[in-house]
Amino acid sequence: MEIAAGETVALRGGNGAGKTTLLRCLAAITHPTRGEVWWFGQPAYGDPALRRHVGMVAHESRLYPHLTLRENLLFAGRMYGIDHPAQRADQLLADVGLAEHAERLPTHVSRGMAQRVAVARALVHEPPILLLDEPFAGLDAEGQAWLTHTLVTMREAGCAICFTTHDEAQVDQLADRTWELRCGRLYELATVLPYDRPRRRELAHAA
Amino acid sequence: MAAFWWIVHKDLVSEFRSRRVWPAMLLLGIVVALVFSLQVELLAEQKQQIVGGLLWLSVFFAGAMVFDRSFAAERDEGCWDGLKLLPVSPGAVFLAKWTVNVLALAALESLLIPLFFVLSDLPLAAHAWQLALIAALASPGLAAVGTLVSGLATGGGKGGNGLVLVVLPLVIPVLLAAAECTRLAVAQQIDEAWWRWLQLLGVFAIVFITAGTLLFEYAIED
Amino acid sequence: MVSRLRTYCAESCLAVLMAGAILAACLLAPTESTMGHAQRIIYVHVPVAWLGLVGFLVMAGSGLAYLSRRNLAWDHWFQAAGELGWLCCGLTLATGSLWAHEAWGTWWEWDPRLTTAFILWAVYSGVLLVRAGIDDPHRRARVGAVLAVLGALDVPLVVMATRWFRGLHPATPEMAPWMRLTLLICVAAFTVFFAWLANRRREQLELDSRWVHLRQDS
Repeated sequence: MEIAAGETVALRGGNGAGKTTLLRCLAAITHPTRGEVWWFGQPAYGDPALRRHVGMVAHESRLYPHLTLRENLLFAGRMYGIDHPAQRADQLLADVGLAEHAERLPTHVSRGMAQRVAVARALVHEPPILLLDEPFAGLDAEGQAWLTHTLVTMREAGCAICFTTHDEAQVDQLADRTWELRCGRLYELATVLPYDRPRRRELAHAA
Repeated sequence: MAAFWWIVHKDLVSEFRSRRVWPAMLLLGIVVALVFSLQVELLAEQKQQIVGGLLWLSVFFAGAMVFDRSFAAERDEGCWDGLKLLPVSPGAVFLAKWTVNVLALAALESLLIPLFFVLSDLPLAAHAWQLALIAALASPGLAAVGTLVSGLATGGGKGGNGLVLVVLPLVIPVLLAAAECTRLAVAQQIDEAWWRWLQLLGVFAIVFITAGTLLFEYAIED
Repeated sequence: MVSRLRTYCAESCLAVLMAGAILAACLLAPTESTMGHAQRIIYVHVPVAWLGLVGFLVMAGSGLAYLSRRNLAWDHWFQAAGELGWLCCGLTLATGSLWAHEAWGTWWEWDPRLTTAFILWAVYSGVLLVRAGIDDPHRRARVGAVLAVLGALDVPLVVMATRWFRGLHPATPEMAPWMRLTLLICVAAFTVFFAWLANRRREQLELDSRWVHLRQDS
């Protein structure tokens, strides 16, 4: 399995199919029983410094409950060694529309707001590989629009993206390829041919 | 190096704001110390013999709470996975967690040592520097074992409960050495034997801090 | 057929060796002057104490081998050595207790060696107990390996601490030549028996593991 730079892959599958586990393996958080994961030609489980290549958004927000939203982004920025982490944190909070909530704790904001900050946290170091586990879950329409725009921008900037979803519309809108997990096996679905795309989008608009 | 300090800073800030672990640890230490003192009605010379053992047992039981909880904050909201995603070596994470645990033990000992001496009616000021030295050498070793074993427990769900069973036998050399050092200090026998016990504390600390730094990567693997 | 014959011959030799050791302990070794026949406990106590320590070292070595190779075969050696080592440690404490009762009139004495054996037994128990609570074989192997390495690093420090705690440990008493020979025979016989048992247990664990794989695949 390969994901090229600038490519977006949608990962589908029923509940319990193993989508989250696969993403965790790609992020080198979980060791696979067999097989290897490589990022830009280097083994993912080697040098910890390689983790700068990857950003991940999970089901959980991964925000420390006793640090403010801004402090969470600041911590991530500092750990990734970016220049001017404070400015970057402020900029990201402004981008996700939460600048006025910067000093609140994650437990004092809504799930959708925490999810936005979680996405911001994954983007703090502008990773060339982005892994997202049902990132649209919990986001309102505005949040979803923002995330879609962000993913498109990152794809155009050459980021390799893999995201899981149950939503066909998101697959159509964002994915270049689709993988599906079924009964422990990974399938690549037939590439959506150009002439199909206009028809799908049309159905979505009619609905 | 910077990553190490930021993790320590993050943990201390979180603990300061949540006050989830340290107050409970201090309270447990006080309760254990009082229970030990209540049970023991001895002559002054006998108290001198056992105050070291009781003190360091109290430190261990209260400290075990800190070790267990040192990763508890990371288990909230998937933060542990978030930490594993960061470009920081497992050894640096271990040393950061270890540092926070050593600070917690230092806070605990700064409360329990005076408390024990007051309850045992023994002079503290006369032995202050010896006790400070014993605490400074014992805490790193205790914290190293506790941090590594807690990291093992955090790595997965099952099997974590029995890990406390393993910690006590592993730290017996530290508890024994610290207790003996304290007993000799109280009896004002700062002799070759006292320095030998101190050396054991130092060796234990060096061995287990090194082992923890090298093994932590395997402990937290998923 | 040939390998079965070879196994049969090897196991027969082992049986003869163990029988020889027991006979030597009962008949060959002279009766000790102060403790009488009770002293013969030493011909079991010393071998099992030695094997308790050997078992731990094998456990730690297998653990390190697993961490570097990630081959579960090493974990089977780990489990086999761990179980037998735990048993030997337990026997050390039991026989040591019997010996203490005959020699010192008390069932237990914080003798450095007994104390070390007790701590070792506690570490063994903890490691095996923790492993028993983990289902995933690789996680079980990894956790066990880390704990065993910690324990192995701890053992020399425990020995030093317990010796200093009780002052100089009792010097090894002078033994009559036949006693020393008997002791050596017993140590050798028990060591071979331990190795054979460990290998059998390892084979059993490997078969179990293959059975689980077959069941999962089908």
